[in-house]
Amino acid sequence: MPQETVSNTAQTAAIVVVENVMKRFGAFTALNDVTLRVGKGEKIVLCGPSGSGKSTLIRCINHIEKHDGGRIVVDGVELSHRVADINSVRCEVGMVFQSFNLFPHLTVAENCMLAPMKVRGLSQAEARDRALGLLQKVRIGDQADKYPAQLSGGQQQRVAIARALCMQPKIMLFDEPTSALDPEMVKEVLDTMIELARDGMTMVCVTHEMGFAREVADRVVFMDRGSIIEEADPETFFRAPRTERAKGFLNQIIH
Amino acid sequence: MNALDFSIAAQAWPYLWSGLIFSLSLTAAAFAIGMVLGTCLALVQHFEIPVLAQLVRGYVAVIRSIPLILVLFWFFFLVPIVLGHLIGNGRPIPIGANATAFITFGLFEAAYYSEIIRVGLRAVNKGQFEACQALALSTYDTYRHIVLPQVLRVASPIILSQTIILFQDTSLVYVLSLTDLLGAASKLAQLNGRLVEMYLVVAVTYLAISSAASQCVAALRKRYAVATSR
Repeated sequence: MPQETVSNTAQTAAIVVVENVMKRFGAFTALNDVTLRVGKGEKIVLCGPSGSGKSTLIRCINHIEKHDGGRIVVDGVELSHRVADINSVRCEVGMVFQSFNLFPHLTVAENCMLAPMKVRGLSQAEARDRALGLLQKVRIGDQADKYPAQLSGGQQQRVAIARALCMQPKIMLFDEPTSALDPEMVKEVLDTMIELARDGMTMVCVTHEMGFAREVADRVVFMDRGSIIEEADPETFFRAPRTERAKGFLNQIIH
Repeated sequence: MNALDFSIAAQAWPYLWSGLIFSLSLTAAAFAIGMVLGTCLALVQHFEIPVLAQLVRGYVAVIRSIPLILVLFWFFFLVPIVLGHLIGNGRPIPIGANATAFITFGLFEAAYYSEIIRVGLRAVNKGQFEACQALALSTYDTYRHIVLPQVLRVASPIILSQTIILFQDTSLVYVLSLTDLLGAASKLAQLNGRLVEMYLVVAVTYLAISSAASQCVAALRKRYAVATSR
């Protein structure tokens, strides 16, 4: 199976290395000694109960949250306090948020064009070409000159995906991308993500969409109380979770 | 009993017009200086720049607790003396009534606008900043292209109210012997004894300009309504 060869090579060439990472918010420990390696082209689904640290973990990978201890290396660059390091990592890491976070005062196309022009130095015409191409890919090419508020939630989230892709990142992070959506819009966003996965993008997704996890994930990583409790391929994880906490969690989300 | 005689207003119009032009240019200049400087003052506080932020806070607090008319007086009489001591031989350096009016109004309004913008900056959704970070946008680009445009859009009704107050406050320049719209009318009223007509004409003029400004902003807001409603 082609998927297996991908995940085998993944082990050799890690593009994201998280080692013994600690993160505290005051007295609360959000991440406790977390270690995770993500191979090039690998798709990882992070799941776990709320407050388990999964969002915090991916927010540390592009330094939206600062980790307090341990090491994070993305595409060979270690995240330090140097602005240059942080920015070069952020250029390679696209992120999609639960609440979309589109820029409400800019059109869909402008949302996609701003960072490529300001950060990557593209001309307006180049940026627009790239934006239109990617909007086409997520199937909202005809909405390019509308404002975000004129679109449905599912369409807005696909714009957010296109906006992140316009920076041509090597890794995509998804932070509960379908949690804020009406049920009938979840599928269109997941389909977009599945397509992206088929194109070979490295993806780390925080999601409870187990169908999605089964279809694309190379590994499911289960977190609880700031630690990684269990890691397995989706078939094994869903069929035979090893830990009681994972069993309890799966029972709750599947009913 | 005297009937109202508006022909007097028609005769007086050229003089009133010059007063109105002065009021409008003072408003425009104070708005421009006030917005640019006010935005800078708000950003200094927003970024908590050491020492400067405290100084700005003090400045805003002082300006906002003193009547504008007093600031005009002080500026007119004290600044020439201070300038004289700083760069001259102690002899006051006059800066003139016009310059005093434009500078004072600009500095005064900056304090008010900065408060409006400072509050607006705090109202911008945290997710907007995170999206900018995730896209590797610099702090400058984040504020220039994402944060400030949203602040200005959200705050535009309050900015407009403040600007209408500013337009009406320009009448205070009478203390510097400058002639604005109201000053022109009151001089003419005392000359020709037609107080009611003159003050009616002036009131209608203020009303027309202020409500026209409100309409403009309402139209602008409508245009951007799709962009801001979420």
